[in-house]
Order: sequence, then structure tokens, then C-alpha cells
Amino acid sequence: MKESKLGDFEETILLIVGILDKEAYAFKIADEFEAQTNRPVSIGAVHSTLNRMAEKGFLKSEMSEATAERGGRRKRIYTITGAGQKALEISRELKLSLWDQFPAFSHGKLNFNL
Amino acid sequence: MKNRKPPKLAEKFLLLFLKDELAEEVLGDLDEKFDSILHKKSPTKAKINYWYQVFNYLRPFAFKFFRSNSNFNSMIKHNFLISYRILLKNKAFSAINIGGLAMGMTVAILISLWIYDEFSFNKHHENYDSIVQVLRKDSEGDEVFVNSSLVGQVGIFINENYPTIFDKVAMTFFRMRPQLLSVGKQSFEEPGYYFQPEAPEMLSLQMKAGVKDGLRDPKSIMLSSSLADKFFKDENPVGKTVFLNTSRELVVTGVYEDLPKNSTFGNAAFFTSLELIYNDENPYVWSNYNIKVYAQLKEGVEISEASSIIKDILTPHRDPEDGPMELLLLPMKDWHLNSTFVDGVQVMSKRFQFVILYGIIGVFVLFLAFINFMNLNTARYQNRGKEVGIRKAIGSLRSQLIRQFLAESILYAVSAFIISLVVVSMILPWFNEISDKSLEMPWGNVIFWVIGIVFTLFSALVAGSYPAFFLSSFGPVKALKGTLKQGLASVRFRQVLVVFQFTISIALIIGTITVYNQIIFAKTRPVGYNQDGIITVRGRSAEYYEKYHVLRDELKRTGYVKEIAEANYPLTNTLGNNNGFKFADTGERIGFTFNTIRVTHEYGKTIEWELIAGRDFSRDLASESGSIIISESAVKKMGLENPIGTQIEARREFNRGHKVYTVVGVVRDMIKGNPFQPPVPLMIFAREGSLGYLFIKIEPDVDYIKALPAIEEAFQRVLPAHPFNYEFLDNSYLQKFRSEEKIGSLAAFFSVLAILISCLGLFGLSAFVVEQRTKEIGIRKVLGASVSNLWRLLSKDFSVLVIVSCGIAIPIASYFLNQWLAGYEYRINVYWWIYAVAGISCLAITIATVSFHSLKVSLSNPVDSLRSE
Repeated sequence: MKESKLGDFEETILLIVGILDKEAYAFKIADEFEAQTNRPVSIGAVHSTLNRMAEKGFLKSEMSEATAERGGRRKRIYTITGAGQKALEISRELKLSLWDQFPAFSHGKLNFNL
Repeated sequence: MKNRKPPKLAEKFLLLFLKDELAEEVLGDLDEKFDSILHKKSPTKAKINYWYQVFNYLRPFAFKFFRSNSNFNSMIKHNFLISYRILLKNKAFSAINIGGLAMGMTVAILISLWIYDEFSFNKHHENYDSIVQVLRKDSEGDEVFVNSSLVGQVGIFINENYPTIFDKVAMTFFRMRPQLLSVGKQSFEEPGYYFQPEAPEMLSLQMKAGVKDGLRDPKSIMLSSSLADKFFKDENPVGKTVFLNTSRELVVTGVYEDLPKNSTFGNAAFFTSLELIYNDENPYVWSNYNIKVYAQLKEGVEISEASSIIKDILTPHRDPEDGPMELLLLPMKDWHLNSTFVDGVQVMSKRFQFVILYGIIGVFVLFLAFINFMNLNTARYQNRGKEVGIRKAIGSLRSQLIRQFLAESILYAVSAFIISLVVVSMILPWFNEISDKSLEMPWGNVIFWVIGIVFTLFSALVAGSYPAFFLSSFGPVKALKGTLKQGLASVRFRQVLVVFQFTISIALIIGTITVYNQIIFAKTRPVGYNQDGIITVRGRSAEYYEKYHVLRDELKRTGYVKEIAEANYPLTNTLGNNNGFKFADTGERIGFTFNTIRVTHEYGKTIEWELIAGRDFSRDLASESGSIIISESAVKKMGLENPIGTQIEARREFNRGHKVYTVVGVVRDMIKGNPFQPPVPLMIFAREGSLGYLFIKIEPDVDYIKALPAIEEAFQRVLPAHPFNYEFLDNSYLQKFRSEEKIGSLAAFFSVLAILISCLGLFGLSAFVVEQRTKEIGIRKVLGASVSNLWRLLSKDFSVLVIVSCGIAIPIASYFLNQWLAGYEYRINVYWWIYAVAGISCLAITIATVSFHSLKVSLSNPVDSLRSE
């Protein structure tokens, strides 16, 4: 049985894959992650997560055409699959529903000093 | 450009483990990362990051040979599982084995941290490479001394005349002692420096608040952040007022991050202006040697070159009669470990010798542990012949057996490493206390991890290599037949290792005893006066200086005070040195330096010195300002047969208009300075009050708990605004032994560990030997051997080894200890009983350790041991 839940880090990476679209390869994703979250991350960690999500079926990947940059080496571009999109939606719904049940929030103002 | 490429080695390493099909994309990604950092930061940062990224690819998904379901993978799992079970099966043995290695690693890590800290002394300062201290080298007869006290004009002169060599000059007052700082009702005694305004910039202080250039106005002070927190809590300290020694009103202009402990200025709680200490006098003169000069060289200036340029600048300003004096520069990197000069030549300092000594001890202890590990592992594997046979019979390849044995020793070594890391992080606070450091675990340091892991794997491989390659080579039939007979060579080898271990242990015991003896010897050295019940108070305000007699009367009236006296220096140092004295009658020069102190007439009665000739100072005589009392060693050095009445002429007026002084008394040598050095010749002048240090001798036999408040009350009645901060003289004197005591406690710590490790090894080894000889012992018993016979038989082998170790250790230890002791003028001999104690105690420990097993087996019923098979 393959694990099919979406972890928090995985979710963030998956969203970044979506944002980057055609440019979604390990280095760019790690870079974007650092820029967006201000947290350092190694390419290896991102790559490992991408690999795991590909195994779960949330992502698929393809090698790009070779270009002159990076010594003519090709990149592996990731794209979100249907299952991936579905997993993201489920996760979003869950969070929205949780926020709705949050009493302070449902009264229209955020007040964390409960 | 050659720097613009990712590190080749890292790439190779990556490709070593990375799956082939991932190589292209990963290399591409890492390249891009490298370029991006190269543009944003520096080539070095990019390279370091590249390595970091490569290490972060050490993940299961990326490994070449890590395919789930692969045979290899499950084999590795199997190997470790079996190793784990074997570890549990021989719990005691495994504990000894792992514990011993862990202990050795713990010591090695602690010592490495300590040494690293010693070598990184002062490196915190950004201008580490360009800061120098100006020293002077002066000759007195045949002797050459290097000294750091200079005249204030030196700094001014080099700053003005050599702008191309010196970037900045910062001078500070020669003596650093704690000062009283107060804000409102709070007062603290804190160490701090009187510096010129360039110091904060030169020492690269990190400002938390205020400005770095905060000492331009002499009425300003900069506080360390910890002191600022103590005074001002959450308020902003900048602009607030601080009182220095209750009288000076200073404005806080800056707050800096505390300097690390391993900096020359690490204790600085504040910096304030140099001009403060001189009141209205000009600090920058050519005559008063009470300033230290620090400077920062311009970029690209060689120290030797700068040294030779400033060498002679003092000459035109000195009396040609006084002998030559040269200046030289000492770079910051030499301040901590290389600042000892003998006859004007830089020599290896005591501190540096200790760094080397501890390094050697660390290597030895680690080596001991390593030998144990190897010895025990090898011994243990001997019993696994059957296992090897069965494995081979059912089709194990030799390579698989090798892997099994290596996996085991790797498991052991890695557990030891992990345990040692835990232990080190737990005992670090305690270690910091006894070694007076603030070391931290280098969790984030790559080099630390690389060395640690490489060593762990190395010891695992070496210790595991014997069984792995030797045992696995047997044919299945031979192996199945039973225990593998070990050759004479391997027994000899183990004996050599045991001898080596005990040689080190015995040498360390001898060393520890000697160090402690030396400390006790110096502590009980007669000091020439009575330290009991004397408290020292430092005079600080002007008010204090006029009230000596009132204070004396008031204090004596309490009934708790026997006598009081004042002197211009405390009883715990030998400051105040002067030379250039002559015999008044012949005009012959006295070619050495006196420790000159000025005291009130009651000094002798207060400290109860021993007068051996002449008389004490007396208030009954009209004037004593022309009289001096000298010490025994001064008499000896001057070669006087009848010292009383000798007239000595000084170069300048020392005391109330006199240049010629008459010796009226001789006292026993007083040990005020280094208790390990020969006594310093003393010359004591009598003077009325107003001297900086007040000594109060409390009546013997009174209760201090009652006496001290009464004394304080009387003191405060006379001097209401003066702080009554006192120190007991005997306590302050004991401070002088701190560094030796530190050495002693560290040496004791290491020798206990070394012995423990050796004993652990011996314990395991004897267990093994006894086990191998179980049958033999059974037969001997049946034939009528007594328990004591057997016990002697089994203990003899190891005892012989220990005796051999004694024979080797004693000459080695005595050589090094005599070298160490030669550094102390006042020292013990290395007595023979120290060797005897060390040897006998080691032998006793050995026999006790071995007896545990030998008695057990001697007492057992021979039927049990003979029945099997």
C-alpha cells in the first residue's frame, strides 16, 4: 500500500511546483521555497520530497530539452497530476473548514488572545 | 577563472553514491545553485554550499545501491540485526567494550575542544592579523628582560612619526584591576580598561547601542552588555550616568557585546578613557613606565620591518647610564601562547607546553581506549569459530562473513561515538569550571563531524579486521571443530598492548601525585609573615586618605582589631620595582631591582613579619622617612655582612625629600608574588598614611561573625561614603595556586580515566583468558590444586605485565617531571616513594581486577567445567 497523505512540507512544495509551472525543477523549487518561506532548504531535501510525491502519484516528471546553460545538462521538470490536484484541494477544504469552526474567526475578527 | 567551478572532489564524491540516472539533473541543479551563490556572495561560500548540497543528497532515494527489495539491502539489515543480538547476548562484555571506547572518545573530544579554544585565542578580533603590542627589551648587567610597561610618549611618537606603518595606536593603563562602578544604589566591582579612544575600533567591539567612537570625551564610559543589563535592565543605558569609584561622573556612550572569554580583553566589563586615571597630569611623558601600547599595522606592513624601525626610539630620551633599551612588536597571535621571553628571546611558554602535554595525553588516552577495543574484540571473536563453520557450511561466502564482522564492530564503534557525544555535552559545564573556559559543543562544525566519523569508522575497521579477514579464511571443517587456536604471535601482541596501556597509566599516576605534591609544598612554604585574620580594603576616595589615624583609633576601639596598617601595594603581588640604587659611601652601583613599597609604621605589627636584625619602624622617633627595612635576600644579594646602618642612595627622591636612606632593620623574606619563585629583594620605606591599601588584623580567637559587622560599622562611621569591600588575605593568596591546581585536577581526571580504561580492558581480557582455560583449571583442581595455587597461576601473567610497565614508565615519567619541575624555582624532588605508590597501586588494582574472574573460576566446582563436551 502506498502512502497517499499529503504532508505539510509536501503540500508547500506541491504548490510551488504549480506556481513555477514550466520552470518546476529541483533547484528552482528549492530557490522559490527559500524566497517564499525564508527558510533554508537543501536541494537534496526538495529532490527527495519530489521523488516521494512522484511515487505517490501526485507528480509526474519529464526531462527537458538540453540548453546551453548548466553545461548542457537537462533538467527534470515536474508537473502536478490529477491526483496531486485532488490532494491539494482536499487539504485546502480541510483547512478552510477548520478556520470556519474557529470561533474567534467566525465572529469576524481575529483575536488570538483567547 | 579557476575559482568559478564547483569543487571537483565534491562532484566525484556525489557521483560515487548517486544513482546514475539522477546524475545529469542533480549535477545541473547543483551547478545552478553554485552559480547563483557565486554571483550573490563569494566563491568560498559557493564552494562550501556545494559541499553542503552534496551531503544533503545522502538520502535513501538517491543511493545507487539502495533499492528496496534488493538482496544487498536485506543482507545489511540482517548483519546489523545479528550484531545487535550478539551485543545483547554478551551484555557485560559489550558494555565494557563500548564503555571503554566511549570514555576514550570523550576525553579526546574534551581535549580537542580545549586545544582548539587555546589556539583560537583572540581570533575573535577582526584585526587579529594586524594588531601588535609594543614591548621593550632592557638589559641589566648580563640579564635581558622583556617587559610590556612603557612610557606614554612611545604611543604618541609612533603614531605621529610613522603614519605609513601604524594605522591606529591605542594605549591603556598598565595595571588592570577591578574598579567600583555605581548607578544609584547599585555598585559592582568590575574589571575594565582605561584606553585611548581608538581601542573600540581596533578591537572591533560589536556595538549593541550607542557609538563605537565613544571614548573621545574623557568623561565617557562604554559598558559590556552584561554589565549594562545589571545596571539598567530594560532601559536604554546610552546617556545615563555611571559613577566610577564613587567620585567620577561618567556618561555611558556605548554598549558592546561581551567579548568572548578567550580574548586578552575578555574580562572587560567596561572601557573608559585613559586620561581619567591621570587626573590632570599628562599621561604622555617620556619617563613614567606605566602604560601598555597596542597598535594596528597598516595593511601589508611586515612586523619584523616595523619592529626594526621603532627599535631605538627610546634611546634619546634615556639616561645613557641606564643601559640599552630596545622596542619590539609582538603580534596578536603570539600574545596568548608565545609571549614568554627568556634572556630576550621568545621561548615556548608554560601554557604552550600544557597545550602540547594535554594533546599528548589526549592522544594516549584515545589510543588506550582504541587498544582495548581492539583487544577485546579480537579476544571475543575467538569463541565464534563454530558460528563461522556453520555459516560456511550452509554456503556463506567469505565476503559475506567479512561484512558480518565489520558490521558488528561498526555498530560497537558508532554506539561508542554517540555515547561519548552525549557524555561530553553533559559534562561540558563541569569541565568548563575546572578548566576555566567557556567551551561549547561544535554541533554545527563540519570538520568536527568529519574527524569524529572518520575516526569511528577507522577504529571499527581496524578492530574488526582481525576477525573479518582472519577468521573468515578458515575452511568450514576446521572452523567447526571448535575454538580456533590463537598463535603465540597474537598472544604476544596483546601482551605488548597491555604493557603499553599500563605504562601510560602508571606514568599518569606518577605525574598526578607529583603535581599535587608540588602544590602542597608551595602552599605550606613559609611566607615570612602571618596571613591569618588579615583583611585588605582598597582605598578609593580622597576622604579615605586623610583619616588614617581616626580610622585606626575607631577600629581598635571595637575590640576586635589588633592593629591596622597601610601600604601602597597589596600583600599579594610584587609590584613597585625600582633599580639604580648605589651604596652611599663607595658610590658602587647595586646591579639589581628592588621591590620597593611604602608602608605606615604599624605594617610590621599588623602582618607580624619576622625581624631578624635591627628594629622595626617606630612612631616615637621624630622621623623615619630616611629609614628603610630590607629583606634577607636583599642583604644576601648585596653581599652585606653587617647590614644595619648601611646607607643606600637612590637615583631620585623616594620619600619626603630623601635621597640617602639608612638600613634600620632586616626582615625574613616575604613571599608576596609567585609562590614558586625565589623571594624578591624587598626595600620598605616608612610613610604617614594615604597609601592605597588598608590591612586590618583581626584579633585572633574572636568570632568573625561578630567582628566583621563591628569593623564595618566603625569603618562606615569614619568613612560614610566609602565602600567597605574586603578580602581575606589568606584567600587571595590561595588564588595564586589556581593555575597549578587546575593542572592538578585535570591531570587527576585524566589519570583516573586512563586507569579506568586500562582496568576495563584488563577485566574483559582476564574474563576471556580464564574462560579459555576453564577445562585446564578443572583438571588442575581434580588433581589437587588449591584455590590459592590457581589464583596465583592466573594472576601471575598479568602481574608480570604490570611490573614490566612500571619498569618502562618510571624513567619516562621522571624525565618529564624533572623537566616540568625545573620551571619552578621552589620545588620538590621527585621522591622514590611516588614511584613506589604508583607502581604498587597499579599492581593492586590489576590483581583485584583479575582476581574477580580467577577466583570465580578457582572456586567453582570442577565437575561443571569438565562435564561439557
